[in-house]
Amino acid sequence: MKVQVDRSICVGHGRCQVFAPEVYTEDERGHCLIEREEVPPEFEEQARLGAGDCPEKAITIFEDEVRESTDTAG
Amino acid sequence: MEKEPTHGASKEKDANYVEFNLLDRAFMEHPQPVYQKLRSKCPVARNNSALGADQLLLFSHDAVQYALKHPEIFSSKMESGFLGNKDPLIPLQIDPPEQVKYRKILDPLFSHKKMVQLEPDFAILANQLIDAFIDKGECEFNSAFAIPFPCTVFLRLMGLPLEELDLLLEMKNGIIRPDTSDPDEATRMRTQMSERIHAYFEKAIENRIKKPGEDLLSYFVTAEVNGERLTRSEVHGICFLFLLGGLDTVTATLGCGMTYLAQHPEQRRKLVEDPEIIPSAVEEILRWETPVTGIVRILKQDVTLAGVEAKKGEHVTVMLGSANTDENAFPKADQVDFERRPNPHFAFGGGPHRCLGSHLARAELSVAFREIHRRIPEYRVKPGEDPRYAIAIREVQYLPLVFGAGSQGAS
Repeated sequence: MKVQVDRSICVGHGRCQVFAPEVYTEDERGHCLIEREEVPPEFEEQARLGAGDCPEKAITIFEDEVRESTDTAG
Repeated sequence: MEKEPTHGASKEKDANYVEFNLLDRAFMEHPQPVYQKLRSKCPVARNNSALGADQLLLFSHDAVQYALKHPEIFSSKMESGFLGNKDPLIPLQIDPPEQVKYRKILDPLFSHKKMVQLEPDFAILANQLIDAFIDKGECEFNSAFAIPFPCTVFLRLMGLPLEELDLLLEMKNGIIRPDTSDPDEATRMRTQMSERIHAYFEKAIENRIKKPGEDLLSYFVTAEVNGERLTRSEVHGICFLFLLGGLDTVTATLGCGMTYLAQHPEQRRKLVEDPEIIPSAVEEILRWETPVTGIVRILKQDVTLAGVEAKKGEHVTVMLGSANTDENAFPKADQVDFERRPNPHFAFGGGPHRCLGSHLARAELSVAFREIHRRIPEYRVKPGEDPRYAIAIREVQYLPLVFGAGSQGAS
């Protein structure tokens, strides 16, 4: 699994790092930084939860087999 | 309808017009069914009863999300809503991209990591407050905890004396809920109060310039944006906004949350039995109760939303509480689930103006609910009494609680 953050959308809700601190961290302003773009299997579930909890839908998850996007914003 | 709206096509007005008063106390007490009813009728509605002027109301999650993400259309500049201030509230009443320079110096002060580090201090304070009333077997929760807990934290952070809390609360209340139902009188009262707030902070700022400390106020007078210090009017703009944000919203969330938990013992017991779920319960309480029910914006251009045409210059109320209970965005939206995941609610707003203090609020709320339920696992609203909600932001101004499981109250 891979994760990507659109930093032009992130405004620092900080929900991602609460669920998956091993995958998402923060810059000085509290905006999301990706700690590991390649997510090890043991952190995949947390990474999904962190992305799902983002009110801005700033994080996209790429599953290994099927490419799947969490981005539903219009 | 008392007068004709100043904008908007009349043919659409009837179809999308809703009877709704944002300042109604019954709505403040149980907003969720009201949102549901209005949202299913009109995702985007018109209304002219609340503020005496035509406005657009956004009820659906889609519309709310769109407005929050497009500050270039939905501006939060001073014209969006009158609060008596002569300087724009910073950073709220500055639109991006200019707003970003203020967030760059303010965001780091309230980051998730910094706020989590304050939790042990919050726990000490929470326990001191609980110590003062626990043996009585009852309390009026708003005055005993919901006000002093976040307000003490705020005054300490700002470096303002604790004995000035009553004065600051009076100033904050004078802006958020002036004691009148007449809009012109409210404007006059807010203007007057704004002058008092300005005079108060002018003195505090002067003191910090002479004798800087480690507090936020000292930081504001010395901080630099692009190599330049903030102007006096910018510092006032920040202080005014902090007064409104720092002294009301967590008080309101604690009151709404405790009222819900007092009235739903089966839900409360989940927190008592498994304190691990408290952080996610806090999120669900924020979603369900959404104490800041709506926020105001003004249109910078014509826009069509959910088929409703609106013109540049129209006022918009973005109903955060309705978005948070929209069944199109949250499965089983009308059920309170303390283990809801994910829970991407807009209780702190969203987009570039996302609440600056959201991580402070979350840390305060988690510690408060944890310590209260550790020490007072059973409580309920005092028999024969009812919680009393304020208007504007859903502060529960009167919440008498009795502790213990017995039918006679305290045990």
